[in-house]
Amino acid sequence: MKKDDFLIKMKGISKRFGTVQSLKDVDFTVGHQEVVGLVGDNGAGKSTLIKILTGVHVPDKGEFYFEGKKECIDSPKKARDMGIETVYQHLALIDLMSIARNFFLGREPVKKFAKVIDFLDSKKIDKVAKEALKEIGINIRSVDEEVSLLSGGERQAIAIGRAIYFGAKLLVLDEPTAALSIKESQKVLDYVTDARKRGLSVVFITHNIYHVYSIADRFTILEHGEKVGDFNKDEVSAEDIIKIVRDGKARV
Amino acid sequence: MKDKSKFNSSMALLFRTHPEFGALVALVLIFVVFCFTATRFLSFESLAGILTVASELGIVAAGITFLMITGEFDLSVGSTFGVSAMTLAITANAGIPLGIGFFLALAAAFFIGLVNGIITVKYKIPSFITTLGTMMLWRGILLAITGGFAVRYWGTSSFLRGLNGHFLGEFRTSTIWFFVVIFVVNTILSKTPYGNSTYATGGNKEAARVLGISVDKVKITNFVICAMLAGLAGCIQFARFNSVDPLRGTGMELEAIAAVVVGGTLMSGGYGNLIGTLFGVLLMGMVRSGLIMSGAPAYWYQAFIGIILILAVVTNTKLKRWALK
Repeated sequence: MKKDDFLIKMKGISKRFGTVQSLKDVDFTVGHQEVVGLVGDNGAGKSTLIKILTGVHVPDKGEFYFEGKKECIDSPKKARDMGIETVYQHLALIDLMSIARNFFLGREPVKKFAKVIDFLDSKKIDKVAKEALKEIGINIRSVDEEVSLLSGGERQAIAIGRAIYFGAKLLVLDEPTAALSIKESQKVLDYVTDARKRGLSVVFITHNIYHVYSIADRFTILEHGEKVGDFNKDEVSAEDIIKIVRDGKARV
Repeated sequence: MKDKSKFNSSMALLFRTHPEFGALVALVLIFVVFCFTATRFLSFESLAGILTVASELGIVAAGITFLMITGEFDLSVGSTFGVSAMTLAITANAGIPLGIGFFLALAAAFFIGLVNGIITVKYKIPSFITTLGTMMLWRGILLAITGGFAVRYWGTSSFLRGLNGHFLGEFRTSTIWFFVVIFVVNTILSKTPYGNSTYATGGNKEAARVLGISVDKVKITNFVICAMLAGLAGCIQFARFNSVDPLRGTGMELEAIAAVVVGGTLMSGGYGNLIGTLFGVLLMGMVRSGLIMSGAPAYWYQAFIGIILILAVVTNTKLKRWALK
């Protein structure tokens, strides 16, 4: 098989929940170091597509290629292991746990005790979390603080920092700026730009076209579970995209 | 954070990171009060009495703590306690070696926990309901099999003495097992990746799932651990009395849950620890002995625990809210 130009290539993805056809024969691609804005109105199928991409749902039909290799992602863990890291709006971090523990959740560094039992390497956890966050410009008072004390922007930042630290290849952001102030939104957008500079590809889901327009290279627009089309940034203005989302396929 | 003084913010950090803080304060207060009101409260006999009651309850409560942090609940621990104790009693009377009987008793608990876990996870129903059902089911089976009569074991053995014999005068080996359980479970929770997964599962199930943790597996495992600890406690109590009646352990689930909640563990999951539970069960043991030694009728015990429970939870909730401001 020849090396593909795409990091992610999904072909003919369909998914049905009971009587609802959430996705119908959707193709979706993400290039290397590309920021793709995934837009569409409520119920367009954005979340379903993302959940398939990240292993939460398994599609009824369709093929999935990662770096040109056919894959079947059947669990979030597998997606994570492959380098697909998701930052969900409300599910990025566990509120009652410390920043450091959140940072390593599911991938804790361990020390062997008596060669059998895995113990958390607490020193490493604290040290690395602090350094990694600082490295991408996030200053945290203490990594022992509970996440519930942080602002929405800080949470997104930590989740993005975590993805970068663990060498993610694709960062999926689900409405990362939805509940944020203007200032914080800008910060998160800066982190995304920074992540791309570090070699990551990004899928950015949002309702706020202006946010995604400032950073995306390409837009994929969904409507009622079907793809309206792919649009390069130089072909469309932000207003055009809003129009397409609002008026649907007919106007294209 | 900014408008708080340095003292206040370090106090806030203390409450956030130490769920057991409130229980410790209550424990000290009640201890001081009983020192004045109860004659001979400050004696080794009295301490041994408190520990004997607290240890058996505490092993059950340790399991409940583990499960409650996972975000689930087990009302069937009292019945499991009874089933395991009865299994040990019946097999002992049948001439089966106590070691094997003990193993079978724990296997029964394992099975009960597994059923609780699988039903709750697979059918996505609240564990409150699952375990309310299994609580009645196993209690009913216990009554049916025994016909309502107690079973007594007349033999003696070093095995039973090891489980719950005397040492240093009035002290019992159950106390040692209790502290071993507290230590082991607390170590798992605070020092291992599995503990991290447990807190995450209880803190936010969906977030944990998308972060790659198999929350269903964690839940079922912790149902099993909780049930097996209840079974262990049942065997330990059998070793103390050499007998078991089919109602043994009735009401224990509520007492254990009360101790856990007094210890600062959140019913909603994701927060709490075993040190709080240790303080919680000591508090209850102390109130039980202290009231009797103060000359109050034993009936007052429940009423007192009820008041302490509500006071503790109100205080813990207030403190937590304040600490998170």
